[in-house]
Amino acid sequence: MPSTSSRHELSELLAGLASNDWEVKLGALRHMKNKIIGKKDKKLDFVELGAVAAVAKTLSDALNVNGEGNPDNIKNNIIIQSATVLGSFACGFDAGAQAVINAGAFFNLARLLSIQDAKVVDAGARSLRMVYQSKLAPKYNFLQDENMKRLISLLSNENENVSGLGASIITHSCKTTAEQVALCDAGILEKLTSLLEGSISQRDASLESLATILKNNTEVVLKFVENENGRSLDSVIELAKNKYPRTRLLACICLIVIRNTCPSFLQDIGIKAKLVRTLLELLEDPCVGDEAPFAFSSLIAQKEELQRLALEASAIEKLYCQLQKDPLRPKYIEGILLALADMCSMLESCRDSFLKLEVLDLVTKALSHDSDDVCIAACICIRSVSRSVKNLCAGHFMKDTIVTPLVKLFIKSSTAVQVAALGAISNIVVDFTTRKSAFIQCGGLKELVQLSESMDGSVRSNALWALRNLIFLADNKLKEDVFIELKAPLLASLISDPEPFVQEQAMAFVRNLVDGCIDSIEYAFTDDSLILKAIGKQLQSTAKVEIRIQGMYVLSNVAAGKDSHKEAVMNQLLPQAVSIRDQYFVIRFLQSSDSQLRTATVWALLNVTHPRSDPGAFGRYIKLQEVGIITQIKNMINDPCLEVKLRVRTILEKYASFGGSLL
Amino acid sequence: MSMFWIVIRQLAETGEAMATSKKVITREEWEKKLNDVQIRKEDMNKLVMNFLVTEGYVEAAEKFRMESGTEPDIDLATITDRMAVKNAVQCGNVEDAIEKVNDLNPEILDTNPQLFFHLQQQRLIELIRNGKVEEALEFAQEELAPRGEENQSFLEELERTVALLAFEDVSNCPVGELLDMSQRLKTASEVNAAILTSQSHEKDPKLPSLLKMLIWAQNQLDEKAAYPRINDLSNATLEDPAI
Repeated sequence: MPSTSSRHELSELLAGLASNDWEVKLGALRHMKNKIIGKKDKKLDFVELGAVAAVAKTLSDALNVNGEGNPDNIKNNIIIQSATVLGSFACGFDAGAQAVINAGAFFNLARLLSIQDAKVVDAGARSLRMVYQSKLAPKYNFLQDENMKRLISLLSNENENVSGLGASIITHSCKTTAEQVALCDAGILEKLTSLLEGSISQRDASLESLATILKNNTEVVLKFVENENGRSLDSVIELAKNKYPRTRLLACICLIVIRNTCPSFLQDIGIKAKLVRTLLELLEDPCVGDEAPFAFSSLIAQKEELQRLALEASAIEKLYCQLQKDPLRPKYIEGILLALADMCSMLESCRDSFLKLEVLDLVTKALSHDSDDVCIAACICIRSVSRSVKNLCAGHFMKDTIVTPLVKLFIKSSTAVQVAALGAISNIVVDFTTRKSAFIQCGGLKELVQLSESMDGSVRSNALWALRNLIFLADNKLKEDVFIELKAPLLASLISDPEPFVQEQAMAFVRNLVDGCIDSIEYAFTDDSLILKAIGKQLQSTAKVEIRIQGMYVLSNVAAGKDSHKEAVMNQLLPQAVSIRDQYFVIRFLQSSDSQLRTATVWALLNVTHPRSDPGAFGRYIKLQEVGIITQIKNMINDPCLEVKLRVRTILEKYASFGGSLL
Repeated sequence: MSMFWIVIRQLAETGEAMATSKKVITREEWEKKLNDVQIRKEDMNKLVMNFLVTEGYVEAAEKFRMESGTEPDIDLATITDRMAVKNAVQCGNVEDAIEKVNDLNPEILDTNPQLFFHLQQQRLIELIRNGKVEEALEFAQEELAPRGEENQSFLEELERTVALLAFEDVSNCPVGELLDMSQRLKTASEVNAAILTSQSHEKDPKLPSLLKMLIWAQNQLDEKAAYPRINDLSNATLEDPAI
């Protein structure tokens, strides 16, 4: 809500703008400029009160007027000041940029670039640069010849605001591979490289544009690296040692983009170490902004060797040190947490270091942060660290201080937050020492089951993943508690869920549920074998190999039980409704190219026919033989997968005297 | 065991020998060595010009350019603008300074929240210095409080400044140093540096770095030799080594 003082101030200024006296107009513009520069709250108020439209009109009027007694220099001053005011509204402020665009000022600002007055051009270029820093700026079509020519002339202009504008346009609008290639072909890389030798702002703008053009485009990266025998790349490497922190950061980002796009470049250990050290230093520099930790993440993510280098350079200590500072901007905290998550994603040594320093305490505090993005980052961090099997199994994560805030996040409305929290919980519930009591006690089970009924498919599947891990090798009491909460009908409906990922997790859950002692198998038979039938039905219809694998392991686990269990599985394997012409899904699975599926299927078959001494074993073997399954198995005696081969041979050995030799 | 003690004694002896074996260089020798070092006049001129330009001594820079033929590395006209801003702050006319900065380059204060906060803070200090208490309170609420909201790291300094209003005898209160000239000079220097950076010019002159290098180099050399030192930078006379 605009303040009273803002209303008052603006109405006076608008009166000034509306005056026919150009001196008065000019005065009003300068006043407005000085009122808004550096003040986001004032800009917001004025934007809401319609100031931007008024200034845009003033600019438009001044551009379209023809002399009329007012000297040119006053007219130009009005143009300059209105452009400056518009630029300031747009500076670092999306609502302002949007207002400038909505007021139709964009085209007029572009006109300023062709006016024969250096100061006017400068003002226009500066303002447009501000607009282009916002995502809301109109897209520039590079694929059009005229536009490309115009861009090249901008980049070639001596005025650093004009060339900077060209670079900003590229950074803003270049999104597709085709655009990257078009820019490269038009010689833009060479232009940007020459700007690297220019003023500070030209250098920085050029580095940002280069990173945008090079990102994920192997062809363009190759051209850049080969440009002038590698001198372009050398320039960027030099700039990574520049004394201005922002330049160092942008140069590092550029180098990281090149490395990630074409891993064969910048492999030298010296460069890698330098990048790590530079980025860790930049983390501590307040004027670099919030981008440093994100750049660090992009350097080390998924790369063990770099994580090792970073660990040796005390990255965990340094990140922890930053996290302890107060106050911190939410974006920065998010960046640091994600960087810690990346550091701990692969190496146990990093996780050890993390846990020794007790960083976990601060990270769990972040779970209660106001910003959703910070909460998500904290969850991802915990998920990474909880991959430490030795700590997980020792129950170091199954603590009230960690579990309670995570479960609280389940109740938040944002699905992104729920999914992230589920990711963290999924690991934590794999714990064998404390019997997962902390989780159960804080009501986590109930929340988890509720999430499995969420409208969002990814939330359902992640909730099931967590449940699946929860009952992995769990004792009977826990399984019972879980099953009572979940109930057979819900589970059956999740097995038949429209989303394949949900089906897969539901099957995996049942697999863990019925695994273990014989009593567990009974769960599959509750409510008239609701679950078993749902699984059988799914196996008939699904085409996804992952679902088939989980389903077969369920049947395999059930078939490890009593005779009646084995009979029930047979009914699923050989459904009545199949006609002679259709193949049984079992045979299709046995013929699959996926060795895991063949393995799971063969296990199920082994379990229904063993032990040989079971009353119904022989009868089941004959049934399988009748429908051609045994013949299929015989073809698999020399299966390339060892596990399959061994199980097949075991089945056939026991029944060798009945219809068929091993050869 | 005895072997061990022999080694230790030997090490102690060489240590002593090293302590007294610092090289001694007489003034005569030193001055001779110094005379052999070649320095170019143009380099010195450049250093002087760089100092005058960075510190903003426009007239001196103009005169020096005329008399020595040394070209400054930035347009002297921009120095005038910059100096006008610096002087406005040093005189306590902060509002005027802000307007001038915005005329020179509207981006500086829009993209430098810390600098803008310090300028606004200085404005508040000036209002308090002039006894305009009500105006100061209104200003603090309207202009400074929002800065604190946008950026929490400013809150502490903001509180310190507003605390000035709580004391009757401002010159004796714990935050009284905010009223010193040194605070104005600090703010002025910050603005000066920001303008220089925006013009892609070095914000620090080269001369101080050279002097620091000299002091460092002498400290390093002290460990290895006794030689004529420069102890007073302002007159740069060689003082004989203590033997």
